[in-house]
Amino acid sequence: MPPVMPHDLPSLHAITRRQFLGAGSLGLGALALSELGVAAPLMDGAIDPAAVRSPHFAGRAKSVIYVHLAGSPSQLELYDHKPELARLHGTPCPDEYLKGERFAFIKGHPELLRPLHGFGKRGQSGMELGDLLPNLGGVADELCLVRSMHTSQFNHAPAQLLLHTGEPRFGSPSMGAWVTYGLGCDNRNLPAFVVLVSGQTPDAGKGIWGSGYLPGVFQGVQCRTSGDPVLFLNDPKGFDRTGRAAIIASVNDLNRITAERSGDPETATRIAQYELAHRMQLAAPEAMELAREDAATLELYGAEPGASSFANNCLLARRLVERGVRYVQLFDWGWDGHGTNPTDDLVHQLPAKCGQVDRPLAALIADLRRLGLLDQTLIVCGGEFGRTPVAEFRDGKRDFLGRDHHPHAFSIWMAGGGTRGGHVHGETDELGYRIARDPVSVRDLQATILHLLGFDHQRLTYRHNGLDHRLTGVQEPARVVKELLA
Amino acid sequence: MVVCCVGADGALPIAEQARRLIAERCLKCHGGVRERGQLNLHGAERASRPAASGIRAIVPGDPAASELLRRIAASDPDDRMPPDGPALTQAERELLHAWIAAGAPESPHWSFVAPVAPNRPPETADPWCRQPIDGFILNGLHQAGLEPSPEADRATLLRRASLDLIGLPPTEAELAAFATDGAPDAYERAVDRLLASPHYGERWAAPWLDIARYADTQGYEKDGHRTIWAWRDWVIEALNANMSFDRFTREQLAGDLLPDAGERTRVATAFHRNTLNNTEGGTDNEEFRMASVMDRVATTWNTWMGLSMQCAQCHSHPYDDLAHADYYRFMDFLNQQVDADTDDEAPNMAVTTAHGATSVPVLQELPADQRRTTHRLDRGALTSPAEAVEAGTPAALHTFDADWPRDRRGMAEWLVAPSNPLTARVIVNRAWESLFGTGLVATSDDFGVMGDAPSNPALLDDLAIRFRDGGWDMKRLLRELVLSSTYRQSSVRAGAGIERDPSNRLLWHAPRRRLDAEAIRDSALLVSGLLSRTMGGPPVMPPQPDGIWNVVYNGSQWTTSEGENRYRRAIYTFWRRSAPYPSLMTLDAVDRATCTVRRVKTNTPLAALVTLNDPAFVECAVALARSVDGLDPTVATDAMWHRALLRAPLETERAVLRSLFESELARYLATPTDATAVAGEGAEPARLAALTSVANAILNTDEFLCRP
Repeated sequence: MPPVMPHDLPSLHAITRRQFLGAGSLGLGALALSELGVAAPLMDGAIDPAAVRSPHFAGRAKSVIYVHLAGSPSQLELYDHKPELARLHGTPCPDEYLKGERFAFIKGHPELLRPLHGFGKRGQSGMELGDLLPNLGGVADELCLVRSMHTSQFNHAPAQLLLHTGEPRFGSPSMGAWVTYGLGCDNRNLPAFVVLVSGQTPDAGKGIWGSGYLPGVFQGVQCRTSGDPVLFLNDPKGFDRTGRAAIIASVNDLNRITAERSGDPETATRIAQYELAHRMQLAAPEAMELAREDAATLELYGAEPGASSFANNCLLARRLVERGVRYVQLFDWGWDGHGTNPTDDLVHQLPAKCGQVDRPLAALIADLRRLGLLDQTLIVCGGEFGRTPVAEFRDGKRDFLGRDHHPHAFSIWMAGGGTRGGHVHGETDELGYRIARDPVSVRDLQATILHLLGFDHQRLTYRHNGLDHRLTGVQEPARVVKELLA
Repeated sequence: MVVCCVGADGALPIAEQARRLIAERCLKCHGGVRERGQLNLHGAERASRPAASGIRAIVPGDPAASELLRRIAASDPDDRMPPDGPALTQAERELLHAWIAAGAPESPHWSFVAPVAPNRPPETADPWCRQPIDGFILNGLHQAGLEPSPEADRATLLRRASLDLIGLPPTEAELAAFATDGAPDAYERAVDRLLASPHYGERWAAPWLDIARYADTQGYEKDGHRTIWAWRDWVIEALNANMSFDRFTREQLAGDLLPDAGERTRVATAFHRNTLNNTEGGTDNEEFRMASVMDRVATTWNTWMGLSMQCAQCHSHPYDDLAHADYYRFMDFLNQQVDADTDDEAPNMAVTTAHGATSVPVLQELPADQRRTTHRLDRGALTSPAEAVEAGTPAALHTFDADWPRDRRGMAEWLVAPSNPLTARVIVNRAWESLFGTGLVATSDDFGVMGDAPSNPALLDDLAIRFRDGGWDMKRLLRELVLSSTYRQSSVRAGAGIERDPSNRLLWHAPRRRLDAEAIRDSALLVSGLLSRTMGGPPVMPPQPDGIWNVVYNGSQWTTSEGENRYRRAIYTFWRRSAPYPSLMTLDAVDRATCTVRRVKTNTPLAALVTLNDPAFVECAVALARSVDGLDPTVATDAMWHRALLRAPLETERAVLRSLFESELARYLATPTDATAVAGEGAEPARLAALTSVANAILNTDEFLCRP
């Protein structure tokens, strides 16, 4: 059997037909088919990408909420306290770090920059976290903090692409697409992979929630907080619910006549998809309707029905996973703290941004815990890289304080979904420049997330242009970071 | 087991079967990438060397001494090979036993051997056979005890051929002319008219644009605009002029180096300037230039050879006979151009077109004294250059003629050389896939060992040879396919074939397929009378929902086009890689970041929402309704149906349409504001609005969305 895909994906085999036909031409068809449990009638293109599928083994997490703080927050103000930077503040960065170093913006010999905000020990675990995240500190014992992340990319778009698709270029499927491909969806009336954006679209655009070479059905569906929650979900002007119901019923009546005449199984699938579309027209607005939450819950998150905010998106994420959505991707804009002006610095902008996300993130964790959903919902939060221990001072201007892009070390945290709460993994050196212990690569993180969902990252593969592709690539080995698991 | 897709030539040779089995089950660990236990089973010679243990996996002619046979039959799970997945079946074990007993003969992979003219099957004399391909198909059907389906009716046939050849359905006038043409060659003339239509180039350019990863932006973070539409128009014009495929190849890969190089041939070289550019702060231009060069290697191999060269970037190909160094030798052809990863896309060439002056990025060779030295990169890493290599092609394939220059020109010659076993097969297979849904090689993107064997090898080779020797004539190839009896069959699935060949690999009926994204949009525009038939020029911006374009650092706006530019064919839609036109994407268009040989069709509720609710489709429904507004309601709904589907509705269908019209009319009479919201301030807005609902239903029928 070709090492192609999770063992129970009949409908996907139907999509490409390759497995079936390839095996048939070899005379091994019976073997391949019986292993895959593929029934012959499915081979004619009846596609049900939404059907629930089993992973390789029983995973701890059933769904993922991935919170991407686009632009990348400073780990040195929030997660990774380096008193040594305060001591050496203003001194030139030691030469040993700068050999062969390439910065996105810094020119000349940079100087070290002290932590600009305080830290304290939080929770039973005594996890050291920044003072800008007081509410998150309150749930520190739920957090699994990784201080030793590193990436190979130091520009936003390639780094975001690497983080979400495993490749620093356009064209590969996003993690959400892989997970949806592997697991299907628990709710047939909603998209399996939903994207919520607060602020601007991230640098790499929709490529970071695209389906790449996987079938397009696995791409993330951006739910919008104004206009239609899903593109083309609302009936056009003048078409009311009754009218739409009548039209869809007529289309399906006509298609039933066609199905009978043509014998084409794809027509039967289309009838089902039109029924689904109609149900989605009802279910998606309901799922996106925050006004249905009680006042206490809205207050917990700081959410306001009708607004467009990160807090609203956190609450929406909870509503979506509650309804069986597999992968919810949140992007929040405004974390690229270069310090070129007060809207991208660490003294004004970073506290403002933390003020927007701290409470809703803590609320999301607490709320999922309260509902009994945290253990099966994996939350991941972080940027695409870190910030430099040195100040940027772009063009020599020293009016504002900021840090440049830093691929060598950054922090992310996870919560729920089978991760180890109150745990800190990895360590950076005294200046926070490089990793001192237990490095975790982007691909390790991906392998670990897939593991929590029940997948062996080496076996979740898809064949395209003659190659078996996988999220974690083939160039460098990825490892499941077992230390992060509960 | 269902019909096993072995062609007229019978089963594959045992060497081929054994190699495919070993490739599928063993080479992942014992092949070009990994050599667990120092064992490499890629090729019988390597496989018969002693492994780390000193034991030989394969001893040709001596099954008893062959460790491989013992291990695949071992009952101890720690001993059994392969360790993952199910054990080999008895039939598979017997196959390997027989192969080793026969001396472990090797035959090169089928697609690496140039096609030789096969014997035509005997059925050619059967009156059913109109074209050479029909004999092969009929032979395959008869071997499986099947008969072809009856011929489709004329309206179906014309609609099918029109959608396939020009991507648009016929107009009612075209159908009427065809239906009343009693001449025996009426269908042939209709096909010839379609092949001569300027819309032919627009339809066949779309898959080529996917292959060439054409877009109107640069990609990556800024995703700034790129002006390269002159190349898109070049493709359309070249296809319409039926430029021979070998010439089409030479001009795009080396149009600047041809003896008769000129402005047109230089525009063609923009094919390989469709790669992404990264102009983000601090980026290393050399790194991204190399990414583009590697993308050109991958695209060239996927497009012409149907093979993936990408794995050889880091290591020798695990399955196919492509060595690590082969990759870099080939890359040297594409590593000698002026372009760097810069914002201005230099080098550009100014061109004058029918739509005014524009420019287009082109390929330009470095001066002789500035040529780059290409190194093999250890594990594909820019930071690990190994030995320098000279331009060349893999030893496992046909030879590079000593007379050819060792540059892109020579590379192009090598790709279209008569001795090339792959290109002609790959291209005819892609044409076959376009018309019959599945290629003769189902993995049209992979002709390697891990790809599928052809369902009908003799037919594939016959087509490939005649295509190659007959002047690489695309229109002649398509004409033969479309005029064949195979193509003309009805698409109704009925009879013994459902059981014996459920996947229709043998083509006992014509395949019924959902239209491509472009054809769905273009068909709706055509039948509603909105379509603009203007060709070429700068990309247009038909209506799309607000908020699709808000990528950072880029002030560019989606400015909805005015007038007829709202209704141009889909191929002219502005294509932004980071935010492609959403309705087309939902219908399985691709983002064009990398070479895509084959789109995967899906059938989803999101697609239903597009054709039901996208304002662009609703506008088509309104226009279709308006065009019949003066008629009696039953006549009006019949007329809309006929316009869209080119046949009268059945009584059962008419009843559905009538009932929908009545219920919607009643609703709109009760809600006049809704009626005017749909129909505007006309004489009878409720009536027009109700007809619009019927039109919306018709444009969503399976029959409208499918090629019949």
